[in-house]
Amino acid sequence: MIGRVGASPQRVGGRGRVTGLQHYVADIRLPDILHAKLVTLDCARARIVSIDTSAAERVPGVRLVMTAADLPQPVPRFGPQFQDRPVLAVGETKYHGEPVAAVAADSRDAADEAARLVKVEYEELPAVFTIEGALDPAAPLVQDAALRPGDNLAATNVLREHLVGWGDVEATQADLVIEHTYEFPMVTHFAIEPHAFMAAPDGDGIAVWSSIQHPNWLQKVLADILGLPLAKVRVHAPDPGGAFGGKQHAKYEPLVALMALRADRPVRLVLTLEETFQAARRASAKIRVRTGFHSDGTFAFQDIAADYLIGAYADIADRVVGKGSYPGCGPYRVPAARITARSILSNTTPSTAFRGFGAPQVNWAVESNIDAGALALGIDRLELRLLNLARLGEAFIPFDTPADGHWEQVVRRAAELIGWGTPLPPGRGRGIAVGIKSGPTTGLSYATVRLLADGSVIVFAGTSDMGQGARTILAQIASDELGAPLDWVTVVMGDTAVVPYDQQTSASRSTVLMGNAVLDACRDIQSKVRAMAARLEGIDPSEIAVEHGVVLLPGREVPIVDVLKPGLGPLGGELIGNGEMRKEGDPGHPLGGSVAFFEFNCTAIEAEVDRETGDIVLVRHVTVSDVGKALNPLQVRMQDEGAAVMGLGHTLMEHYIFDGSGRIRNLGAIDYRIPTSMDLPLELLSDMVENEDGPGPYGSKGMSEGALLCVSAAVAGAVHEATGTVIRDLPLTPERVWRSLQEGGNG
Amino acid sequence: MRSFAYSRPATLAQAFKTLESGGSDCRLLAGGTDLIIRLRDGSLQPTIVVDVKRIPELRPVIREEAGRLTIGATTVMSEIAADERVRRHFVALAEAAAVVGAVQIRNRATLGGNICNASPAADTAPALLVYGAQVVAIGSAGSRRIPIRDFFVRSGETTLRRGELVMAIELPLPTQRTGSVHLRRTRRRGHDLASVTLACLVDAAGVTRLAFGSVGPRPVLAVDSSGVLADDAADDDAKGAVLEELFATASPSAGSMRASPEYRRAMLRVLGRRAVGIALDRLAGGGAPG
Ligand SMILES: Cc1cc2nc3c(=O)[nH]c(=O)nc-3n(C[C@H](O)[C@H](O)[C@H](O)COP(=O)(O)OP(=O)(O)OC[C@H]3O[C@@H](n4cnc5c(N)ncnc54)[C@H](O)[C@@H]3O)c2cc1C
Repeated sequence: MIGRVGASPQRVGGRGRVTGLQHYVADIRLPDILHAKLVTLDCARARIVSIDTSAAERVPGVRLVMTAADLPQPVPRFGPQFQDRPVLAVGETKYHGEPVAAVAADSRDAADEAARLVKVEYEELPAVFTIEGALDPAAPLVQDAALRPGDNLAATNVLREHLVGWGDVEATQADLVIEHTYEFPMVTHFAIEPHAFMAAPDGDGIAVWSSIQHPNWLQKVLADILGLPLAKVRVHAPDPGGAFGGKQHAKYEPLVALMALRADRPVRLVLTLEETFQAARRASAKIRVRTGFHSDGTFAFQDIAADYLIGAYADIADRVVGKGSYPGCGPYRVPAARITARSILSNTTPSTAFRGFGAPQVNWAVESNIDAGALALGIDRLELRLLNLARLGEAFIPFDTPADGHWEQVVRRAAELIGWGTPLPPGRGRGIAVGIKSGPTTGLSYATVRLLADGSVIVFAGTSDMGQGARTILAQIASDELGAPLDWVTVVMGDTAVVPYDQQTSASRSTVLMGNAVLDACRDIQSKVRAMAARLEGIDPSEIAVEHGVVLLPGREVPIVDVLKPGLGPLGGELIGNGEMRKEGDPGHPLGGSVAFFEFNCTAIEAEVDRETGDIVLVRHVTVSDVGKALNPLQVRMQDEGAAVMGLGHTLMEHYIFDGSGRIRNLGAIDYRIPTSMDLPLELLSDMVENEDGPGPYGSKGMSEGALLCVSAAVAGAVHEATGTVIRDLPLTPERVWRSLQEGGNG
Repeated sequence: MRSFAYSRPATLAQAFKTLESGGSDCRLLAGGTDLIIRLRDGSLQPTIVVDVKRIPELRPVIREEAGRLTIGATTVMSEIAADERVRRHFVALAEAAAVVGAVQIRNRATLGGNICNASPAADTAPALLVYGAQVVAIGSAGSRRIPIRDFFVRSGETTLRRGELVMAIELPLPTQRTGSVHLRRTRRRGHDLASVTLACLVDAAGVTRLAFGSVGPRPVLAVDSSGVLADDAADDDAKGAVLEELFATASPSAGSMRASPEYRRAMLRVLGRRAVGIALDRLAGGGAPG
């Protein structure tokens, strides 16, 4: 059966995705649609003095110019963690690119033209766009303290402080203490599909289209803002063309919905690439790590202080800070730990979730510091890691899920693939690092599966397939359990009026959580088939089992469809199964819930450095992940490779560049560099460890972020071995490597 | 994008007429890989865009005649990079054309557009400079030849007169053995704008011509007639001193976010030294006049 779990059938929907047949939000045409364009100011922060829309309104084809004054008052605010973000700027813009108005017109050109003609009189205000700037006691406040009642940090730019720890760091003796500060750049998701939003009045409710990861969450946000029952807000979420966390939460959907209601016509807004830079990004960070070692290489303590620079509105950024820094000590036995992390507001693009969810920043610092310790102790970097690595079942974070994999197998495999310890040609070096990420801490997924009269199957699942291949995995599970060939399975997603509730598509959760819900729904059908078979055979159900598409009767087995057809009888019909998967939270837990699974990865790099130019050539890049069970090995590999290359972006070249007053200078594809196919490692090897020890279907674990987590430290480790230079600031651009070599290079 | 009128003249005479009546509201369009970007970001707002691709005299043809290779202004990079004659006689130009943008860009980007856009980072400019190219300009008053070293003024500005357009670029065929090469620095290996772009030509007489761009307002040619650079026996210090002198005019901008001035200067030296080495190897290994 081609859909069997563990096989790598052709991706469901893959052909359409690569041939242009797939309809993304921007491809959907609605009659009478208006095209929207945002009006923004060319500065980081400004007081809005007045807005004159008269010239814009005179542009032929313009139907609506919306400012905050046209919105319900007080202007609605929203956000997944804090309801701080206004639909349009109220009185003040807080970051470069924040819209003060929006135009809707019959054509895109008319909207663009009119947007330019909206005259905004404004006074530029002092802004903060660095960690130091934001923490300066004299710094202007990014958020109005009135928005944060009862918050004793409200008079600062620190949104929150997170503290986790165990043992007594101060009292712990160490033979060697290594302390350094590391920096991680501000980067953006750069999904190939830009964010796109559309809304249309829909009877007594509203229909909204968005390339969103969490349609149900968006539905609730819109229902709250519009004062509508959930049932009157229909969110269509066509498969996004890449999201990487940047499309988790509402951005301009509330604005577009309010515009559509006001114009009484459908409105669409498709962001330009430049505008996506101003809509979502990853938090930059500055991390001080103090690591205590015993002389035998075991850890005495980790003391980590991580400052993350988030944007002007919180979005999900503070959760990123808390959850991302939480496993900061890594997958190691650490007797005493103290991790403090701060989310610091600034007048910049609101940062949000991004593959790795805050973990890559701390990983870069801590893994690099471990290398520094190994060097000082004269212990091999691989051996030191293996020495400290938590083994299966060890409660390495004392109050959380114990180590849930044979992680040493992963590390050994990566070391083997990179040829760790074998002689190196001159000018080359190797690096190795491990990464860990906490999986989901709560979750709720429902699935409905319909087994139709001919044995074909429809799966209804609220997961968003943004390229990770969720459709294929869910279809494989249904195919496997119900015995339908894979091309007889349809997966319906992305419509809140049709598919049951799913909390979200994030944290590499869908294979585990939605996978289990689909499995549960299939089991529901299987139990109905079993009852059917018992009725048809006139025997007790306990004599019958149904599994992997077949009905096991006493003495013989038949395909499910052979029971289904006679069982349904002359009227036909179908069997409907419902499934549910819950991961309850725990209010006493620092993250609000224990970790469903860990993503574990080991990355090893061999690099060559041109000492004259600072160029780094990655000769070999090895990534190995613990995936429990690869339901589709090819997709696992593709996710690992994608994450690995994305990790090379922030490691080698990506970063926002600001001018002296907080404007982003490198908006767009010309001066913001992401890796191209020509920048790939000469050899990219990915492998996986499968012990069927995960909580997902058939022992699977979530995966798709792991291979990004520790790329930076592995590359920097290789550069160090190749050249002797230590760099603690990303990205490792040729110029930065060259400069470090010029300066003698020991950081 | 601001709306504009689009004109596609089929003759030079029609083109001149449109240019005359439109004046400074006109913009010429070849492949559009520079122009469209400026139209989209609003930094150029012409009312008439004049497409030159249908003018027969500007056709994308490469022909060899009267001791020179003539490249029609609308010849695109992929054609130049693939042309046997360019590869044989003007390998640095073929190499430069082959690194402009990516495949899609090279299938659109014309040689005429690259030089008329007059970006200091234009990758074909250094090669054209070391080969002593001539720009054939034509206007309603007739045609003239502009030596390439007199063509560039500053970013976006050339010595073309109002109403003139570039018809072709001529390269004199070498009369002696030469070795040449194009090298550049970018922030990544995938397509990128150069932070240093450089071409070097060494001839059998020991003259070394180095041209470089992206380190000042316009691409520059510098010539070493002392023979030191081309001399295998000269030591590194002596060559370094000559290079230092040739590069003295480089004045990279401090305001660029692509590279700092120190890095550009340092890379100019590195590329210069490497290019001389490669050009000498090529000179030794062949490059006979043909
Ligand atoms: C993604 C991308 C990557 C790029 N990478 C590179 C690179 O690596 N190296 C590089 O050098 N460039 C690069 N460029 C810039 C551009 O592709 C080149 O400069 C190209 O050669 C321009 O040619 P065109 O035909 O597209 O010019 P157009 O955009 O059509 O014209 C450019 C300018 O020249 C004028 N013009 C055009 N033809 C004539 C003529 N016959 N007579 C008078 N004036 C004329 C136009 O009016 C306009 O001002 C890149 C561009 C993009 C979009």
